[in-house]
Amino acid sequence: MLSSKLFIRQVLALLAKDLKTEWRTREIFTSMFVFAVLVIVIFNFSIGADPELIHQVVSGVMWVALLFATVLGLQRAGQMEREEDSLYGVLLALSDSNALFVAKMIAQILYLLLLVICTLPLCSVWFRIDFLACIGGLWVVFALGILGLSIVGTLFAMVALHTRAHDVMLPMLFLPVTVPITISSVYATAQLIAGKNLKDIADYLTLMGIFDIIFFTLSLMIFDYFIEE
Amino acid sequence: MRIFGTILLFFIVFPLIFIRRNSVFQAVILYIIMDIAIFLVFIYVPTEKVQGIVQKIFYFHVSSAITMFLAFFIAFVASIMFLWKSSDWWDAVALSSVEIGVVFCTLVLITGPIWARPIWGAWWSWDPTLTLSLVLWLIYVAYLMLRADAHDPKRTRFAAVLGIVGFVDVPLIFWSVEKWRTLHPKPVLIQEGGTTGLTFAMLLTFVVCLGAFLLLFFYLLRERTSIAQSRYSLEVLRQEVDDLLAR
Repeated sequence: MLSSKLFIRQVLALLAKDLKTEWRTREIFTSMFVFAVLVIVIFNFSIGADPELIHQVVSGVMWVALLFATVLGLQRAGQMEREEDSLYGVLLALSDSNALFVAKMIAQILYLLLLVICTLPLCSVWFRIDFLACIGGLWVVFALGILGLSIVGTLFAMVALHTRAHDVMLPMLFLPVTVPITISSVYATAQLIAGKNLKDIADYLTLMGIFDIIFFTLSLMIFDYFIEE
Repeated sequence: MRIFGTILLFFIVFPLIFIRRNSVFQAVILYIIMDIAIFLVFIYVPTEKVQGIVQKIFYFHVSSAITMFLAFFIAFVASIMFLWKSSDWWDAVALSSVEIGVVFCTLVLITGPIWARPIWGAWWSWDPTLTLSLVLWLIYVAYLMLRADAHDPKRTRFAAVLGIVGFVDVPLIFWSVEKWRTLHPKPVLIQEGGTTGLTFAMLLTFVVCLGAFLLLFFYLLRERTSIAQSRYSLEVLRQEVDDLLAR
């Protein structure tokens, strides 16, 4: 019981540290947000102005923007950890290195949620799509998708941190492994926009849920083994 | 059916028996079986009526696909063992297995379109199995890049993470791409009710061909693992010499 209390306290302390740094510099979220907006705008130009076509591809555009923004955010976060080798200091102070993983993951989830809150209205205005009609279902899809992206992303960010070409390595590791999340979230979102309800996309939601559970458990199991030097 | 099971079991168990024995002997046996497989595929087995001569690529396509999955599975087990036991041997096995697995995966991706062109009328279709192979290829090429990039031997732990995650991802990728699009012919090997869609001659050819592929895989794996281990001991020796000279 005591150890689980300690674990939660450590997670919260690490999370508070990360969020405080972020609040002061606003480096990670700003770059993620600007980049996501940029991706959406560029896609808009490449697709053209056909409203029918835009309706079909909007969920794909949104998730691609989210994926790339995740990679960018993790790269910035990794860069900050690498400066002055601060990661080793943190690891020395921890009794259980899983606390580091959970804290980083929660921070990433928060950034992504904030990113969705900021970009969804923009998408709605630019692509002329009423997201409010299906906002409840959309949140379920976004929650499951963002959770999966954050788990795998945090794990591979820690891996890529220790390679020479870390900025190139992260997307190469991250994007193929998250293919199940990409496929199911894009199609679930597309169906919701097309007017289906949550019951129709239950398959995709189950897949995402199972992906999240498997990779969260796996990450906690192996994080301890590979992070120790 | 039972006789084929026995033959298959023999081909899987056989290389394990010889794993630490004379490699020349194993190479000779491998050579003979590969010759038999080529004879069976091109001369013995009758040509399939509907698909014609192009169906013969099935023996190589499916065999390399099965060998690929076996290779990635061995890499998965070896990665777990390496994280657990930290022995260099397991690491060498994982690296070698992924390397050979990527070769067989490339074979699947080359033979697939050659088969697909006359049958489906297109070089590439985003069907589940082919898409799965492509995604796996991307994951394991990333593994090899990670290995090439990790600048000291201790960092191989990070590659082991990908070796585990990549294989765990296989059913999930398959599930998602299957929901996404389906065009691939239903597996002809085992149909509903446990009967096979293949004639006796075809099944025999397939089993021998698969056996040849598996033997080739185990032979390459053993050779590659011993090279990886030699390289590791060389690194250690070089380190020692460097330390001596520095003193």
